[in-house]
Amino acid sequence: MSAPAPPAGTPIGPEDEMLAGEYVAGLLEGPAETAFEARLAAEPALAAAVARWRVRFAEIDASAAPVVPDEAFWRRIETALATAPDLPPQEAAATVAVTGAAAAAPPPVTSSRATPTPARSGGLSDWWHSLTLWRGFAAVATAAAIVLAVGLGRMVLAPPPPTFVAVLLAETGEVGAVVHVFADGTAELLPLENVAVPSGRAMEVWTKWSDERGPVSIGLLDRPRTVRLSTGGLPETRPEQLFEITLEPATGSPTGRPTGPILFKGTAATTL
Amino acid sequence: MTARSSEADEHAGLIVLCATGDRAALRRLYDAEAATMLGVATRMLRRRDLAEEAVQDAFLRIWRGAASYRPEIGGGRTWIYAVLRNRCLTLLRTSGREVSPDDDLPEVADDAPDPEAVVSRLSDASLLRRCLEALDERRRGVLMLAYAHGLTHGEIAGKLGMPLGTTKTWIRRSLLALRECMG
Repeated sequence: MSAPAPPAGTPIGPEDEMLAGEYVAGLLEGPAETAFEARLAAEPALAAAVARWRVRFAEIDASAAPVVPDEAFWRRIETALATAPDLPPQEAAATVAVTGAAAAAPPPVTSSRATPTPARSGGLSDWWHSLTLWRGFAAVATAAAIVLAVGLGRMVLAPPPPTFVAVLLAETGEVGAVVHVFADGTAELLPLENVAVPSGRAMEVWTKWSDERGPVSIGLLDRPRTVRLSTGGLPETRPEQLFEITLEPATGSPTGRPTGPILFKGTAATTL
Repeated sequence: MTARSSEADEHAGLIVLCATGDRAALRRLYDAEAATMLGVATRMLRRRDLAEEAVQDAFLRIWRGAASYRPEIGGGRTWIYAVLRNRCLTLLRTSGREVSPDDDLPEVADDAPDPEAVVSRLSDASLLRRCLEALDERRRGVLMLAYAHGLTHGEIAGKLGMPLGTTKTWIRRSLLALRECMG
């Protein structure tokens, strides 16, 4: 880094452009990755190239078959958050300055990937240890804040009545499940019929609001249970919109379209 | 697309709120993205327990690193997935590849890396899909094996039965073609 780094808008050479693409695709490993991340911190033009690659590839992540976690998963995250104190904003900002983190990723991620072997939890725990002093006198206040935040979270999350309801029926006419869609675009599935999902299979929830786009996966369940559906980024629900549940491989339909037998289906109706 | 971009802006706002200690903002990010994040992680790690570990780590890092997020660098959603992908890759690379892409573990028997399935999930209207489909199947396949399934150069070479050097060249040419096509 003998010459001053060019600003973000400066075009970079074809070699760096390819390196940035390989980095975002996860193809740089070991010393090559460490060296690239060190350059990222110092070269805004390179960081900008990385950001452009992330945008180019973003839809691959956004279109992954959703795997709906159960509510216990959020509680595990909350517990993990409570185990160590929250990082106050000024501490986080200081960490950025110290590590010179890559523009598109936060510092702990960058440093943990650059650490050789115990990287998996090493980066994070080192970071916690550096905060031991702070933790000592802030723990009580943090605990109080968490209780308050959790309480507020619950209040915010108490769902209003649904604006749409879809009753999903089996071929035999029995009611299998109900989908509630709320005014804010969120939706939940309430199973009513117990389905024995075979090992290696899962129930995948689909919705279709146009023939042109076809069915879109909004959830994957290992067994019938009440779950929030993944409706983020989808158009607003409309009357007569189709919802269905099919039996698919455990990690979701391999094609992005329903491939297995339909368990239940039904269309959305407006609540009165 | 407008729904998606306004949602991305909303994500940026929620990340900024996380930096102020607003736990409800984190929960809103979780409600919007957890299922897709778990889908991304499951596809890469091919084991539900590892995938949950990656997503949980990602949320801790989103919460603690929220103050380092700068909206001018990129969208909130992109940042969240950059954090997640880092966690997934770290787990893949440091778990000693317990999850070899060629293992026929019973729980993932139906989920051998399938690059064409990744492409088929993209919206018919997307520029990315059009540009990938302009490449021949094996040339877009190498990119999907890397990005969506987290395979290394060596693993991709092994899977396709090609020399490592040829594989690297293919990937670079595919990246170049993609950049030319997408701008």
